[in-house]
Amino acid sequence: MKNLRIGAILGALLMVAAACTSTPSAKEGGTLIVALPGDIVRTDTALTDDSNSSYVIQQVVEGLVGLEPGSTSKVVPVLAESYEMSADGLTYTFKLRSGVKFHDGTDFNADAVVFNYNRFINIPTELQDYTYYIGAVFGGYGETSNLESATAVDASTVAIKLKKPSSNFILTQTLPVFGIQSPTALVLGKGDNTESDVTKITGAQGGAGAMVGTGPFKFVKWTVGDSVEIEKNATYWDTAHLAHVDAIVFKAVAEEAQRVNGLAAGEIDLAQTIAPVDAATIAANKDLQLIDRGSSFNTFQISMNHNYAPVSNPKIREAIAYAIDYDYLIETFYAGAAVKATNWMPAGVLYAKDLNLPTYDVEKAKALIAESGETDLTIDFWYPNDVTRPYMPDPKGIFEAITANLEAVGFTIVPNNAPWRGGYLDDEYAGKYEMWLLGWTGDWAGPDNFLKTAFFGYVDGAPSTEFAYKNDALEAAMNAALAAGTEAEAKTQWELAQDLIRADMPTVPVANSKPQAAATINLKGFIGSAGLNEPLNLVWLDRP
Amino acid sequence: MGRYIVRRLIAAIPVLIGLSILLFAYIRILPGDPCVAILGQHRTPEACAALRANLGLDLPLWEQYLTYLGKTLSGDLGSSVVNSQPFITEFLTRFPGTIELTLGALIFSIGVGIPLGRLAARKVGGWADGLITGVSLFGVSIPVFVLGLALVVIFGVFLGWLPTQGRIDARARFDATSGILLIDTLFAGRLDLFVDVVRHLILPSIALGSIPLAIIARITRASVIEVANEDYVRTARSKGLKEKMVDNRHVMRNAWLPVTTVVGLQVGGLLGGAVLTETVFVWNGVGRWVVDAIENHDYPIVQSTILVFALIFLVVNLIVDVGYALLNPKIRYQ
Repeated sequence: MKNLRIGAILGALLMVAAACTSTPSAKEGGTLIVALPGDIVRTDTALTDDSNSSYVIQQVVEGLVGLEPGSTSKVVPVLAESYEMSADGLTYTFKLRSGVKFHDGTDFNADAVVFNYNRFINIPTELQDYTYYIGAVFGGYGETSNLESATAVDASTVAIKLKKPSSNFILTQTLPVFGIQSPTALVLGKGDNTESDVTKITGAQGGAGAMVGTGPFKFVKWTVGDSVEIEKNATYWDTAHLAHVDAIVFKAVAEEAQRVNGLAAGEIDLAQTIAPVDAATIAANKDLQLIDRGSSFNTFQISMNHNYAPVSNPKIREAIAYAIDYDYLIETFYAGAAVKATNWMPAGVLYAKDLNLPTYDVEKAKALIAESGETDLTIDFWYPNDVTRPYMPDPKGIFEAITANLEAVGFTIVPNNAPWRGGYLDDEYAGKYEMWLLGWTGDWAGPDNFLKTAFFGYVDGAPSTEFAYKNDALEAAMNAALAAGTEAEAKTQWELAQDLIRADMPTVPVANSKPQAAATINLKGFIGSAGLNEPLNLVWLDRP
Repeated sequence: MGRYIVRRLIAAIPVLIGLSILLFAYIRILPGDPCVAILGQHRTPEACAALRANLGLDLPLWEQYLTYLGKTLSGDLGSSVVNSQPFITEFLTRFPGTIELTLGALIFSIGVGIPLGRLAARKVGGWADGLITGVSLFGVSIPVFVLGLALVVIFGVFLGWLPTQGRIDARARFDATSGILLIDTLFAGRLDLFVDVVRHLILPSIALGSIPLAIIARITRASVIEVANEDYVRTARSKGLKEKMVDNRHVMRNAWLPVTTVVGLQVGGLLGGAVLTETVFVWNGVGRWVVDAIENHDYPIVQSTILVFALIFLVVNLIVDVGYALLNPKIRYQ
C-alpha cells in the first residue's frame, strides 16, 4: 500500500513537472513571410480596388458578412451575428456581435457601422477614382447611390435600406472594401469624407488611422514599394480563431522566378501566386508544396467586336468555337491547372450552368463556315505583348496556338500585338480590335460581375464599344435579375440571360484557369480560395 | 575653384530645363493612358474623363508643361498616380537602398577591378593577363539580369550561402531610421543584422558591379602599361628604386587619372544598372520603383526620377572634374 502511495505521489509529481516544462504548442509563433505579386496601393479598405491591397486588408479589417474560407460564394456572418431581408427586398437588418473592439480599443457597435456606410454613400467626388467597388455595387454615390440609408436600430442592430431591391447585395458586402473600420481612426486619419485629397488622408497612406479594424491581425507598418507588416491581435473577439503566427510580412515580389527562388531558399513561406511554368519545379522540390485552390474564379475568352465582319456573323463565331483545340491549350500553357470553359463565368459562380459549349471539331467548324456565307475570312487578331494574366499565362504562345487552329479551318489571321497598358486595353475598349485575347477575374461570385460588368452589360443604355454586342432581351434579363426580390426570381432571370448569351455566342470562352499558390512544406492550415479570400490566422508554421 | 564650381552649376540649368522638356514630351507621346493604369479593366469613359480632369491631363500640353515646371521649381515633384504617395516621400524612402547598392557595387568593382588591372599589366601577355581579359569581356557581355539570376540560383538556392532577395531578412522586422541599413543596424547595436545586411548586399553588388569591374580592370591595365613605358619610370628603375616604390610612386600615381574618370562615369552607369539589379533582387530602391512606374504609366514618378537622376549625374561629373584637379596638380581651372 505504501509503495502504491509513493508511486501515486511520484506519478502526480511527474505530471506536474511535465505540465510545468511543456512548451507552447508548436503551432504558435513565428513570422510568416508572404510574397505578393505587387505592393499594396493604399491602407484604407474603402479606397482600394486592387487584389494586393485587398489580400492584406482582409486579414485586418472585417465586414458584416464574409465568405466561408475556401468558398467564393458561400456567405457567412462575421461582425453581424445574423441578418434578414424585409419582404420588399429593400431593408436588410443586421444583428451585430457584442463585445467586439477595434484595434484602437474603441467599441464596435451599430454607430460604427452607420458611420462606415454613411461614408460609403458620400465619398467625395475627388476620391471616387479610388472607390470603384463602392460605385459599382451601389450604382454611384449620394443621390445616385442605391444605398438609401444606414440607421442604428439599437446599439447592436443596424438597418441598411436600399432604394431598389438588389439580389447581389449580401454577396457584394463580403468584398473587403466594405470592411468596417474604427470611426475614431477614420476621423484621425481624415478618412471621414472631410478630406478630398487622397494624399492627405493619412489613414490611406499608412500613417495615423491606417487599417484599424477588428480582425485577427493588426496593422503595423507599410514600407511603400517593399512590404507591409501586420501582427497578431491577441484580443481578437473570435477566440477560437486567434492567429497562430505572431506576425506576417507581405513582400512585393514582382519577379515570378524570384518567388520560387525565395521559397526554395527559405526566405519566403508562401507565394500567393506562381506562374504555371514554375509548377513542375515546385512539385519536384520536396521542401515545397504546390497549393491548388480548387475551383476557378476567372474566364479567359477570345473576344470579338460585332462591328467587324466576319465575326459579326454568329455562325462564324460558332465556327471559331469549334476550331479551338482546348485540351492542347490547357495542357501546354496552363500546365493542366485550368478547365475548359463551360460558360462565360466559372462554375463556382452563383447560378452558373453548363452551357454545352462547342468542343474541338474541325469538320464542324468548316461546315459552319460554309453555312455562314462569308467569303472573306480575314480576321485582325490581337494579343498583349508585355504581360501575363492569371487567366492568360502566355499570351503570345496561346495566340499562336489559336491562330494555327483558325488557319487550319480556313481563316486568314492578321497577327497584331500591343503593350497591355500602352494601347491594348485602350484600343480593345474603344472598339478598335476585331478579335483579341482577354479575360476577367471575378470580384464577387455573382453572375452580374462576369456577364454584365465584365462582358456584355450595356454602357449608358447602349451596347458597349468594346464588344458592340446588341441584345436588348439579355440586358433586360440581367437588369431584372439584379432587381429581383427573391432568390428564385434572380435565378430564373440569370438562367435566361445565360441561355440568351449561349444562343448568340458573342465571344468564345476558352478556359477557367486555377492560379496556384506555393509554400514551404512547413506551412500548414492554409485554405486556398479561387477568390483569394484566404484567412491567414488559420495558418501555422510547423518549424522545429 | 569655387568660381569654376559655380559656373558649372549655372551651366547645368539649361541642361535640366532641356531635359525636362524632352522628358515631358517623350512620356506623353508614349502609347497608352494613365487612366488604364489607375482604373484598369474597370474604367468607363466617364470615369476616365473625370480622372484626366483631376490629373490636369485635359489641359493643353504647353499648359501641362508650365504647371509641371512651376511645381518642380517650387520643389513639388508630384505624386504617384497609382498610390498617391508624394514623389519626395517615396524617393527618400527608396534612395538609401539605391545608394547602398551603388556603393556596394562600386566597392566591389574598384576593389577587385584595379588590382586585377594592375596584375594584368604586370603580366602582359601572360596567362593571368589572358584570364583577366577574358573575365573582363565576360563581365561586359553578360546582361545584369542573367548574371543576377545565375548568382541567385547558384549561391542562394543550390549552395544556400547567401540570401536571394531583399535588403534584410524580412523576419527581423527591423525599423530603419536613415534607410541606410548598414548604418541603422550598427547604431541599433544589432551586429547580427549588420552581418545580415552585408550578406544581402553581396550578390546584387557583384551583379551590378560586374560591368564597371570589367571596364575599370581594362582601363587600369591600359593606363598602367602606358605609364610603365614612360621615360621617368625607366629613370626611376635605373636609379635603383625598389619595384614597389616605382609602382606606387611613379606608375600608379600617374595612372590614376584615366581610372578616376572612368570610375566617375561608372556611377551614372551604376544608377542605370540598378534598375535591372533591383528588379531581379527585389531590392527596394529607386530602380525597381521606376520600372514599376514605367509599366504603370505613372508620369510624375518617371519624370521626376529621371530629372533627379540627371541632377545626380551632373553633380557626380562635377565631383570627378574637381577630383582631377586634386589628383593632378598640373591641372588648374581658371
